Amino acid sequence: MTLRVWRRLFVVGFVAVLFQVCALQQLVFLGAHPDTFLLLAICAGLVAGPQAGAVVGFVVGLVADVFMPTPYGLSALCYVLVAFGVGIGTPLQGDRAPHLFQVATAFVGSIGGTLLYEVLMILLGQPHLPRGELTDVIVVVSVANAALAVPAVWALRWVFAVPSRPGGRQVTPAGGGL
Amino acid sequence: MAASRRQSSQRLTLLILVLASITAITLDYRGPASSAIGSIRNGARDAVAPLQRGLSALFRPLGDFFAGAVNYGNVVADNQQLRNELGQARRQALENATAEQQLSELLAVEHLPFLQNSKAVVANVISNSSSNFALTMVIDRGTAEGVGTGMPVVSGAGLVGTIVSAGSSTAVVRLITDPSSQIGVRLPNGTIAVADGQGRGSPLSLADITASAPRPKKGQLVVTSGLQGAAFPAGIPVGTVSAVRTSGGALTREVSMTPVANLSNIEYVDVIQWLPAA
Repeated sequence: MTLRVWRRLFVVGFVAVLFQVCALQQLVFLGAHPDTFLLLAICAGLVAGPQAGAVVGFVVGLVADVFMPTPYGLSALCYVLVAFGVGIGTPLQGDRAPHLFQVATAFVGSIGGTLLYEVLMILLGQPHLPRGELTDVIVVVSVANAALAVPAVWALRWVFAVPSRPGGRQVTPAGGGL
Repeated sequence: MAASRRQSSQRLTLLILVLASITAITLDYRGPASSAIGSIRNGARDAVAPLQRGLSALFRPLGDFFAGAVNYGNVVADNQQLRNELGQARRQALENATAEQQLSELLAVEHLPFLQNSKAVVANVISNSSSNFALTMVIDRGTAEGVGTGMPVVSGAGLVGTIVSAGSSTAVVRLITDPSSQIGVRLPNGTIAVADGQGRGSPLSLADITASAPRPKKGQLVVTSGLQGAAFPAGIPVGTVSAVRTSGGALTREVSMTPVANLSNIEYVDVIQWLPAA
């Protein structure tokens, strides 16, 4: 990942933090709010592939953990696995994916990411959500992230300078390298 | 060959990142970096607090609109119930006026340390929990105003939670319904128990009530016990008994309690400047 990518990632991350912490957190629906950080990790895996996506997921997770009351590093671990999984699961369509595919990936990835977070909480001996509340969180996060998927993918394409013309991932030489 | 090398590189990157994440978790749990991480968290929260404060006024009504649209039926029912309760409260207030005067005289005589010495800091709730996996909220008062970790937080009705992290101008309150919350409580019949949070919208569960103890009655007010070493001073209303179940042959009762404070929509709280005895 080049210095330009890191600079752009900083800009997108900063905007995401403000958007999440100052706005989305106030929009509580069924007791839960959307999760932009998870969405960024999913879209990073989709746009940049498993390797660069996992790096972005790790960085985004560390930033998210600063604002979370949960153990530091837990979001980073979850987002690394989610971004890597999305990158592996979408090897060809990632950077040229149609909108519907982006939305579907964000939806499914959010369900998987939220469930994974719950599992990690249990593994770390943290108090976890009752089943009914977990369902509410999954519904809210996956629907909201699906709705925000297209602009998020657009932002990450800008970060990784993915061209609008047909072609492979520019930022990931040899198909997904750093 | 190239594909194999690429896969190895991907796996190595994943392994390094997973190990780095686990290292961060371990340091947060045990290492000397724990307090540094806490400071970073407090600093970051303080930094975004002015924006949160400004934007919460803008987005809170929007959030209320969505919540109201989904729960319209409940809102109407709640409104009716609140009107009934308001009428009852007015009647009760008149009846309590005399008792209140007697109580204040009694407290003056008894010199109860908590009620005499504790001061409260009024705070505005500026944000909900940043995580969907923890029931917390952020208030706009911190160490600069005398708010510290471990202090109880109350609303007009009763106990709301406790301060779990305090920056210079903000603090995080863990709500009593959070699954990690435990409160020592006393029932009107004198029974001591521990109230465990069961999550958002769920009643608190009272543990350790033996079947041989007097059976609690539905609607009875439960207050903090304030026993030696307790995390809260005595006498703060926590909730009312909502259900009592005794399974056949069981040694303990299952008692549920509904919080008296409305935890879903709080704007202002009081932080009691009281800390547990060391």
